[in-house]
Amino acid sequence: MSYDDPHHPSPWGPHDWKHGSPHNSWAPFILSMGVAIFLFTLAGAFKWGEFQGWGKVPLIFVGLGVVGFGLLIWWRQDISFGVNGEVFEPKAAGAPFQNIDIRKVAMWVFLMSEMMVFTSLFSTYMRYRFGIASCQTVFESGEWVEGAAVICFEPASHLIASSWFHIAPGAINTFALIISSFTIVQALRYAKMRDIDEDVRRRKITRYLGTTWFLAILFLTMKMIEWFLGFPLPEFLHEFNHGDSTINSLYTEGYLINADHYQHHEYDTHYLESNGHGLDHDSDLYAMMEAGTHPGGHMMANIQVSATTFYVTTGTHGAHVFGGIIGLSYMTLKAARGGYTPDNAVSIEYFGLYWHFVDLVWVLVFPFFYLY
Amino acid sequence: MVGKRSKGAIVALVVIAAMLALPSAQSFPTGISGVQQSGCNCHGAVPSDSVVASIDGLPESYNYSEAYELTISFQGGPSQEGNVNQGGFHLWASEGTLSVSDATAQLYNQNEAGHTGAGNDQLSWTVTWTAPATDKNVDFVLHVNSVNGNADGVGGGTSGDMWSKVAISVGGPVEVLEATDPFVVLGVLIIVSASLLAITLAYVFYRKDPDAFDWDNFAPWLAGWMTSTDHKKIGTLYFVAGLFFLGVGGIMAMIIRIQLSVPGNDFLTQEQYNQFFTLHGTTMIFLAAMPMINGFANWMVPLQLGAEDLALPRINAMSFWLQPFAALLIFTGIFSGHGADTGWTGYAPYVVSEGAHYGTTMWAAGQIMLVASSTLTGINFLTTMAVMRAPGMGWMQMPLFSWSILVANVMLFLSIPAFGVGLIQVYLDRVVGTAFYDIAAGGDPLLWSHLFWYFGHPEVYVVVVPSFGIISEVIATSSRRSIFGYRSMVYAMAGIGIVAFIVYGHHMFTSGMSPTLRFVTMLTTMLVAVPTGIKVFNWLMTMHGGSLVYRTHTLWALGFLVTFTLGGISGMFFPSIAMDTHLHESYFVVAHFHYVLVGGTVFGFFAGIYYWWPKATGKMLSEKLGVLHFLTAFVSYNALFWPMHRLGVWGMTRRHHTYFVTTEEALGSLPMEAAGWNMFITVSAFLFFFSNFILVFNIIVSSIRGEDAPDDPWGGWSFEWMTSSPPPAHTLYKLNDGSWGIPTLKDANEHIANEPGWLSSWFQRLLVTDEDTEEESH
Amino acid sequence: MAHYKIMGQDPYWMNFYGLMILTLMEILAVGTDLGPAANSLGTEEKVLTLWILTIIAIPKFIMIAAIFMHLYGDEDSGILTMTALFPAFFILIMVLFVGLTHPNAASGLPDWCRPGNYGL
Repeated sequence: MSYDDPHHPSPWGPHDWKHGSPHNSWAPFILSMGVAIFLFTLAGAFKWGEFQGWGKVPLIFVGLGVVGFGLLIWWRQDISFGVNGEVFEPKAAGAPFQNIDIRKVAMWVFLMSEMMVFTSLFSTYMRYRFGIASCQTVFESGEWVEGAAVICFEPASHLIASSWFHIAPGAINTFALIISSFTIVQALRYAKMRDIDEDVRRRKITRYLGTTWFLAILFLTMKMIEWFLGFPLPEFLHEFNHGDSTINSLYTEGYLINADHYQHHEYDTHYLESNGHGLDHDSDLYAMMEAGTHPGGHMMANIQVSATTFYVTTGTHGAHVFGGIIGLSYMTLKAARGGYTPDNAVSIEYFGLYWHFVDLVWVLVFPFFYLY
Repeated sequence: MVGKRSKGAIVALVVIAAMLALPSAQSFPTGISGVQQSGCNCHGAVPSDSVVASIDGLPESYNYSEAYELTISFQGGPSQEGNVNQGGFHLWASEGTLSVSDATAQLYNQNEAGHTGAGNDQLSWTVTWTAPATDKNVDFVLHVNSVNGNADGVGGGTSGDMWSKVAISVGGPVEVLEATDPFVVLGVLIIVSASLLAITLAYVFYRKDPDAFDWDNFAPWLAGWMTSTDHKKIGTLYFVAGLFFLGVGGIMAMIIRIQLSVPGNDFLTQEQYNQFFTLHGTTMIFLAAMPMINGFANWMVPLQLGAEDLALPRINAMSFWLQPFAALLIFTGIFSGHGADTGWTGYAPYVVSEGAHYGTTMWAAGQIMLVASSTLTGINFLTTMAVMRAPGMGWMQMPLFSWSILVANVMLFLSIPAFGVGLIQVYLDRVVGTAFYDIAAGGDPLLWSHLFWYFGHPEVYVVVVPSFGIISEVIATSSRRSIFGYRSMVYAMAGIGIVAFIVYGHHMFTSGMSPTLRFVTMLTTMLVAVPTGIKVFNWLMTMHGGSLVYRTHTLWALGFLVTFTLGGISGMFFPSIAMDTHLHESYFVVAHFHYVLVGGTVFGFFAGIYYWWPKATGKMLSEKLGVLHFLTAFVSYNALFWPMHRLGVWGMTRRHHTYFVTTEEALGSLPMEAAGWNMFITVSAFLFFFSNFILVFNIIVSSIRGEDAPDDPWGGWSFEWMTSSPPPAHTLYKLNDGSWGIPTLKDANEHIANEPGWLSSWFQRLLVTDEDTEEESH
Repeated sequence: MAHYKIMGQDPYWMNFYGLMILTLMEILAVGTDLGPAANSLGTEEKVLTLWILTIIAIPKFIMIAAIFMHLYGDEDSGILTMTALFPAFFILIMVLFVGLTHPNAASGLPDWCRPGNYGL
């Protein structure tokens, strides 16, 4: 036994053909080590949300670097596959998946577990959304006093869907994802075309994959704007935004995972009165204030759970987009080298399945976290 | 010739050894540094024999809190009568309080005293030492130096400067051994077993392939294992990891049992106990049982299906390598006393509270990696079984072991995302400060229980269902017939797989969960008995219609049937909400799940090891040692866990570091007999623990001088028996026409009856009367 | 790959247009004041929005899965659709048991389930 054991043919894997590159791979070992270092050092740098100093931060990047190195090794074994026309796509042998590519089945099986991941997150959200009274309800019920925080659920949509400007990044993202779903299907279509020139095909695939990559970057950029950055408005739009010159990010609005003293002007009786439309006359709070049993004022809320479910669910989706970006970077590079031919175009399809799934999740996340 | 790489390896080893040796050289003895080892910097580097230091006034054993006047003096050395400076001293006492009574001595802190400038002209000094109020061993370390110190150099040299030291140990009123730190015990045992494992493995592999241990070959050989994507190699790696952690989990169990052997014991503190049972549970489930299942599955599923490898070999390697690193994370903190202390269930809100140890974060992180590993494994095996069955093998021709792995992976794979998401929530709560389980912010601790048990209940079936598969194979082969009711076996397993998802509420009956859900899960839990009962009766019918050969693996399978059925019956107490409320958190629960997880899962593993060992290694295991292993383990196992039922009904609670017995009818105390039973359990636990070393011994003996195994030693008839023992790297099967290749279903072997060994014949005489045999032959 | 047409056109383009239109409708539904409509239906504005969003999300979901993910119209679509739908039961269980059970059950028990109620 030695390092270069005679390669035994296994059903698939670019590392496996009489192709020159070794059957064995250091990538699994290195990737696992990197993940462990990353999780370990991240927990060293933060504790209960408190930053523990810069000393541990370089180690986090060491962990990420090891992960990246592992990925590079993984891809280095694969990237030349298909460039010189050698392809090997094993098919399922027996029923019920007869003649379907094994990797396609594996991809769908993987998506099954992804469905359960997002179901878990949605179940968490539902439990809290339906189990904790919304801030609007609590405010109108009058069961609060000024100066003491009450626990209530403040959906992010209350901030995001409050105006066309606030919803803009989310809406752009929705369109970006749908367009990117479309572009990756187009990349697949051109990759499968046999009757076009090889060079044309290579350029088409590269462009469509590149567009998809760009749209994914756009998605994360918009997310950052929506979460942390906000954006300024041109002068002529100020009047539509209560005269404010900027659209605040969720961060600026105080919609944070540690927001235990969150205040919003719509939960302020003085603000509501001074801005004309006043308090809802059907509400208990109105009746109590009329009867003099409630002094009114500015409600203070503990919305940590609402912000947590929002950021973690949309963040998990964002992490999937980020994973897609990493995959797309590799695929675009490979496409530019002419790595995709009609014979191995299916690789694009399998990545596409993942990418469409990410889009599908967004189809659910967008209405239930951004709009409802 | 020593290659360049080997030279590098030698240098690295020397450096590592030096790094390990260096701290121990510097840090001895404990306490103060510098002054102890080499005197102080201004004096000579080595102690001198001619100086004799002494402490007078120390008792042999002290009385609590009494003050003793100590006289420190020295003789000899360059010091001479009449010198301006004669010498000095430094005294360190590990316990108690030092004080000084005159100007010749000074106090550095309560443990250290020395001379003053004014005391330089003395040969003896006086200090007072107040003994501690508790029983301790006190170490005194005294350094003195003797100088010939006339400032003007008159009447003797100025160069004379010699020092010496003396160490004295004093005990308390009763001479006691210092209590051993259980973490040190654990650490030492783990290191010892890891070294033994490494030496054993190295020797076994050396015997198989001596060339690999040449200087030039060793690094590539090791790299070959670390980078391999071959399902057989990865299966072996899984086994090595799984058996190692089975041992580690066992060591922890033994330490727990030492603690519980007598009432009110203080070997482990409450905090230590919490960490031990947490890591015992996590280790056994995730680091021992799951890797061993994957080991069996990796080895046998492709062989049984007639596939060349798994569908995604590199992903398979990834699944494995995530585990050792996850294990490192999970064990982070345990040796500094900050390991996870949440129980393997990690219930919220404690798991996210600052009261839980730091190690809990790493425990969650490690398990996140295990979740990733299990997901990848699930994808791999489900795909393999769906697409790579040999031509002609439909779903309903798949061997039952493969079926069990299929069902287990479906359960694992669809339930583990819930656990993964829960763990990520915990990790984020603890690290980033999110508020999923923060009660003050309205977080719902029951959410964790729901997510955990949505995974946790399928998980316990995941670890037991592969055993069902192994037992089905073993019983069918040993009965020399096909399994009775194959289809019903498959449907029963699939039924268990489905029902597993809707029963989990029974873990939470006392948690204040929705009453409707309690009612639903009570009914569904009772339903679990149906498919399980079908399986048990099918096994019995298989033996009834067959003619049993008593091999070691058969004995383990029979043992499994007994213990698993008992565990299943005790399990039927829990679906009833009223019973469950009474028995919840008692030792009855501990007895139940150890009966199914040890008597079910581990006995199944042992059966599988004895059954497939010849196939995987090409060497036979000793039947004599195997039967001895079974007899000792089975008896001690039952003696270990059966009395726990009784303790549980008496009211002994689990997860508590100690218990008390009383003759009175007092709430929260156990009857006097409980102490005796606990001691009995501890003794049985040690017997059970050590009985398993017979298997280890058997494996070593077999690897060194075991007989060569034939291709089909037991007369099994699934595909794995058609290839050679051990199978070549690229599996080829011996087909019916005598050629070697990839089989189709019609190639499966004729079932060959096999003669039993002498001990098994004896068993057979014991259990099958001659009349029965005669009847059968008619 | 798709071997069929939608209304005589390329299915990917048609699907793309359809998704765009449905998303626009979602955003408009949120932006429009549904108060009067909700009042006339005797419900809350938020609940009405939730229903509209759910009803629009379902066709979007199906369109992406069926056309972009090739669960419709391919030779292997049937079995892969079955694969994709396999977790449906487990998802349903999780949503019901984890997402929708009453979180305050201990304090929110119905009367018949409380100590001291003997149905007399």
